[in-house]
Amino acid sequence: MSDLTRGNVPIKSENDIVAARRVVRDLATRLCFGVTDVTRVITAASELARNVFLYTGAGVMRWCTIDRAGAVGLELTFEDHGAGIPDIELAMKPGYTTSRGLGLGLPGAKRLMDEMEIHSEVGKGTTVTVRKWLRK
Amino acid sequence: MTNQNISVVKVRDTLMVTMPADPDDMTVTTFQEEVLRAMEKYRPKGLVLDISVVETLDSFFARTITETSRMVALMGGQTVIAGMRPSVAITATQLGLTLGGTLTALTVDRALDLLTHPHPRRQRR
Amino acid sequence: MAKRSRLNGATAVIEMKGFDNQAFLAAIVESSDDAIYGKTLEGNILSWNHGAERMYGYSAAEILGRPVSFLVPPTKPDEVPQILERLKRGERVEHFETARVRKDGEVIDVSLNVSPIRDASGKIIGASTTARDITEQKKMREALTQRAKEILDVSTPVLQVWEGVVVAPFIGTLDTQRAQQFMERLLDKIVETNSSVALLDVTGVPTVDTRTAQHLIETITSVRLMGAQAVLTGVRPAIAQTLAHLGINLADVVTRSSLAAGLRVALDVLHLKISSQDGEA
Repeated sequence: MSDLTRGNVPIKSENDIVAARRVVRDLATRLCFGVTDVTRVITAASELARNVFLYTGAGVMRWCTIDRAGAVGLELTFEDHGAGIPDIELAMKPGYTTSRGLGLGLPGAKRLMDEMEIHSEVGKGTTVTVRKWLRK
Repeated sequence: MTNQNISVVKVRDTLMVTMPADPDDMTVTTFQEEVLRAMEKYRPKGLVLDISVVETLDSFFARTITETSRMVALMGGQTVIAGMRPSVAITATQLGLTLGGTLTALTVDRALDLLTHPHPRRQRR
Repeated sequence: MAKRSRLNGATAVIEMKGFDNQAFLAAIVESSDDAIYGKTLEGNILSWNHGAERMYGYSAAEILGRPVSFLVPPTKPDEVPQILERLKRGERVEHFETARVRKDGEVIDVSLNVSPIRDASGKIIGASTTARDITEQKKMREALTQRAKEILDVSTPVLQVWEGVVVAPFIGTLDTQRAQQFMERLLDKIVETNSSVALLDVTGVPTVDTRTAQHLIETITSVRLMGAQAVLTGVRPAIAQTLAHLGINLADVVTRSSLAAGLRVALDVLHLKISSQDGEA
């Protein structure tokens, strides 16, 4: 019986993006999120995992179930040791991209999830944490 | 990873592709390649992309659909995306995905109707 | 004869000659219906009142000295450490709603108040917890929320008014959660009825604020993304003005000032479909 409280998925290849999606689908479904919320969480995870792979080639998605004042939720953290984001505000503007992508990953994930935190240091790496709470 | 085969089927004078529930990047790329190959071979009037079982539409998938639709247009065809699920439509909207203005239809039936009986669009204001 | 003083820095007590304040306060704790228990800063239970025996099912003899995590469901491993951390900093935890497990395994909903206990020098030496069983209260709250939701669902129905046409009346004061549910219901109905047109009626919306406008735009976009047509109906000049001020571009959205006019547009769309198919026969 796997631990429902925490775990991680390494992101080192394109296949790991879909692996991350599958893990998140399993978690969100088991936590009884509604269909649309499950889709939102999976899609946000896909975008953020893809960012990790596209920009740094290697990183990890950590997940854990969270609890706050009686509400249950899912927290995902995407970590990499890449070049870092020099201007987070700029990175959050929809359409801004330094790759062939659509530039929707970060602002999109923020809209799909309930909470988002970004910590980044140029030359050191980036950590993006997102959370979604189960609606009552 | 599971090997997901993409089959492009010719129905009347259109191509039909049914996407699996959660296609990985390779499957999405294969879809584009197979469509181009079939467009070349059959020169049909259009493509129906059936996404009725697709559960996740991320930016990579969306971008590939848009690109493919443009390529099909360059080869004289029209693309219609059919069967988008409500949860996918809502998530795509909130993510800001537009699919490049590609035509969409509620069902594969309607998509085929659109391609075989194109009616003039009357702009009413 | 009576003089006021403070016992342990917190409770004010009237000192009366010949009266044992400690015993009096102890009796108050004992006669309370709430569970009141004291614990060390490591979380080990030091005191356990009658209310706690009844609420949790453990007698004082069974539980004294055990860690309080005994009572916590396994799905919340970080809760007690987090509470103890706050206590060590001198913070109180108030009206914290969570769950606990009784001796017989039953999970109950509780509301906790936890305060630090200080010695005479002011140093924090432990914590005192008061727990109230709110299982019934919570059930009632949830039943009420469910009823409210049902009433709301009934008052914002998505109706199929014609074959291929659905109408979704907007009521302006939907919170984000209701707005999301409304959007899902509309799209599900479109699929269910295989409708070509959705009329989004804002006749009943008194004012359009940023959030409602955002919700409207998202709904229209989602409907069109799925392959159906969206018509915004009941748009009065005041609403059109507000939307324009909010920077909403309605250039490529079909709008009509009344629901009836919107219906005519819908029927036009449907006739167009039917006649073009016949034309190709």
